[in-house]
Amino acid sequence: MEFTREIYWNVGHGALTLVPMYLLALAAVAIMVRAFLQRRVVYRQGRSLDRLDRIGERVGEMLGAVLSQKKVLRVAWPGLFHALFFWGFLLLVIGTTLVFIQADFTDPLFGLVFLKGSFYAWFSLVLDLAGLVAIIMLGGLFVRRYVMRPEGLTTGPDDALMHGLLFIILVTGFVIEGARMAVTELGTPLAAWSPVGLLFAKSLAGIGEEDLRSLHKLLWWLHLLLAVGFIVSIPYTKFRHIFTTSANYLFADRGPKGKLVTLDLEDEESEKFGATVVADLSWKDIFDADACTLCKRCQDRCPAWSTAKPLSPMKLVNQIGEVAFGKPDSDLIDTIGRDVLWACTTCRACQEICPAAIEHVPKIIEMRRSLVLMEGEFPGDEVMTAMEQTEVNGNPLGSGYAARGDWAEGLDVEIIGSGGEVDILYFVGCYASFDKRNIAVARSFVKLCRAAGIRVGILGKEEKCCGEPMRKMGNEYLYQTLAVENIEKIDASGAAKVVTSCPHCYNTLTKDYRDLGLAIEVESYTVFLERLISSGRLKINGADFSCTYHDSCYLGRHNDIYEAPRALIRAAGGRIVEMEKNRSEAFCCSAGGGRILAEENIGERISVKRVRMAVATGAPQLLSNCPFCLTMFEDGVKGADADGSLKPKDIAEVLADCLPEGRS
Amino acid sequence: MKILVCIKQVPDMESKFKVAADSRWYDTADLAWRMNEYDEFAVEQAVLVKEQVGDADITVLSIGPDKVKETIKKALAMGCDRGVHIADDEVSSREPFQIAGMIAEYARDKNFDLILTGMQSQDRGSGQVGILVAELLDLPGVSTVVAFSLADGRLELRRELEGGVKARVATGLPAVVTCQLGLNNPRYPTLPNIMKAKKKELITVGVADVLKVEARQQTAKLYFPEKKGGGLILEGEPAEVADRLITILKEKTAVLA
Repeated sequence: MEFTREIYWNVGHGALTLVPMYLLALAAVAIMVRAFLQRRVVYRQGRSLDRLDRIGERVGEMLGAVLSQKKVLRVAWPGLFHALFFWGFLLLVIGTTLVFIQADFTDPLFGLVFLKGSFYAWFSLVLDLAGLVAIIMLGGLFVRRYVMRPEGLTTGPDDALMHGLLFIILVTGFVIEGARMAVTELGTPLAAWSPVGLLFAKSLAGIGEEDLRSLHKLLWWLHLLLAVGFIVSIPYTKFRHIFTTSANYLFADRGPKGKLVTLDLEDEESEKFGATVVADLSWKDIFDADACTLCKRCQDRCPAWSTAKPLSPMKLVNQIGEVAFGKPDSDLIDTIGRDVLWACTTCRACQEICPAAIEHVPKIIEMRRSLVLMEGEFPGDEVMTAMEQTEVNGNPLGSGYAARGDWAEGLDVEIIGSGGEVDILYFVGCYASFDKRNIAVARSFVKLCRAAGIRVGILGKEEKCCGEPMRKMGNEYLYQTLAVENIEKIDASGAAKVVTSCPHCYNTLTKDYRDLGLAIEVESYTVFLERLISSGRLKINGADFSCTYHDSCYLGRHNDIYEAPRALIRAAGGRIVEMEKNRSEAFCCSAGGGRILAEENIGERISVKRVRMAVATGAPQLLSNCPFCLTMFEDGVKGADADGSLKPKDIAEVLADCLPEGRS
Repeated sequence: MKILVCIKQVPDMESKFKVAADSRWYDTADLAWRMNEYDEFAVEQAVLVKEQVGDADITVLSIGPDKVKETIKKALAMGCDRGVHIADDEVSSREPFQIAGMIAEYARDKNFDLILTGMQSQDRGSGQVGILVAELLDLPGVSTVVAFSLADGRLELRRELEGGVKARVATGLPAVVTCQLGLNNPRYPTLPNIMKAKKKELITVGVADVLKVEARQQTAKLYFPEKKGGGLILEGEPAEVADRLITILKEKTAVLA
């Protein structure tokens, strides 16, 4: 006998079954669609934004991310449980759909029956196991949420409903199967292909057929009603993430990573800059709140949150949603709070880990823009002073602009405009130009270049701050003023390539400046030096030493440059003892997002916390690649009482020490 | 209410200063320029008064070469209504009486109710201009003001005197007030105001039209102070160092008096 089963066994395949079933299903879908359309009205309060360009690639990326669960899987255990549950549930949905196609479409219309024979046997086995996996994973997630209760995980009525509904749907499914098998399949070879169903069938075997049939029918309709309830509840509960999170992959920011929207400041019509109400944000910023599953991964990684500051990226995103849905005219900045907005270091840990492709940082910047551009407000007087210093001298440190090139005294460096040829234009940045500690880094970099025969040019006093800290603080006007002047000087330099030793300059020149017309190639000094070494042009006499390495946020998460700096350290003889939080999970030094200009007055000091992580490796040196990080760590080692045991250094310094002439 | 604010463009004090070839002033090459800090308090106070009374018109005046217009624009962005640029390329050779003479000449027939300026400039630091303007216009002049309130057409002011002593002064309007650190916190111009400032009226007045007085003093020579002995570093046991420090503070300073 060929393997198969009677679809609609016991419940009947007549109008008495099909009419109510299809009416219920249609009503459920209609309610769901209507509810999403109502939500769409709320999303549309936001400004327009094209997130359907290159739609083919977007659809591909969405399907890939949804089906593979790769973003969810980035956090091992809860990710694996969710992914396995998802795959199990997906198989059950596919299985149910195949049943529907055969029973009410291909069989009645064409007499085509495909759920038979060995395909049906495998179909039975796969669905049976899928159901089992889904139940186990749901149980695991239940234990995590309700028994282990990880810190920061918010659990509400939605979660109880979702767990309850899914659990009952899955279990009733098995009981229905068991009852059917107890009557029709027990003792046949087919029963072995549904091992879990068989367990249920055996436990029900003592009941008489009549009672089994009643139980089956009752549960079948209950199961149907629950499934219908599930569909209806999707838009009204966190179940909505099934659609909204998936759709957010479709609408995702496709980069370049961390590039902000350039405001049109020449627009005579604009009288408002930045965001104070949801209508000033984009529709995607409101949609993001609906895509959030409250998984708290962003919050777990937020350097501000984990040092007792009031910013939780998760809470912020959801507050925007609450305002958009609840009282859309109310002031976002008052709702969220200024201390929250100023606390962000734009480290991007939240966005990088978010399994829902939510964009946290641009929302914060939009609100900061309003505070700075419309109100002249800053997190502190010291920040306003730094802004004014930058307006006057082109650097936030308050040093006289004319001395910007003085750090290079005695080195073989060409000041652009004095006639000589150069191979690279070194965009030095403010800290390497004026800050004593970081001047050592700039000098090391130049020594390395000269050792490789690279002719280095600098703009000298013509260079200005790249504007990154000002821009991230919300001062788009000052940023654009600085950027336009720098671009003019860079273009006039005639250099073929710009190299930066500051990841903030790098990210800004290579991404943000493009909107303002900079076309020249820009490279990080780490990548540049790594190529010089691997091509044999730069000879390094490495000597064995131990260190740990800090991935700066702007070289790491913003630009995915993780390996070149490590290769440089190895070339110098370094053995890297990694901190637990490394690469894309690296913990910020505290200075991004313009926070380098601000006092850190709330909570624990982020730099001290990061230094303690470095101390925990036992390595005597903390290497980094960013002037802000180096500055913060020089402070942090004092705060962590580690200034005797841990020496912060830049990679360039370590390499320069390995130059044959550097050993003197 | 008509308010005049007089501001000066000065070099940023972090600049690398060099004495000019004629030894009378500093060399202006490689300097970054900004609004005299004390004048920022004057601009802020004028805008605060306007915010208080509503119906006020603020004129901001600066004397100097073309580049002082940048500083005037900053004041306009902070909230002044119109700018007056007295075009004078020789401004650095003018002595305070000439500067005050030019301001008074400009202001004489304009019926300003209130004239505000910094108590001194960060570069020349004579501290005379505001007071001389008051004298030339025969108005009450109050200098080094650190608290300001306007009620019923009268000013209640607080002046900072030596040794931490303050004086309360009241005067009617019109009056001239020079502003000292601590009076207020100058605002950061908002972007819409920066945009509006670009369209505000900025009148240029020729120096010959307002310079009617002769110089009464001359700068003979400008030079860097002689290098004196450096700081004193105390070393030893903390308790002993503390005792020595207290002795020094008692003998050589007034902080423990």
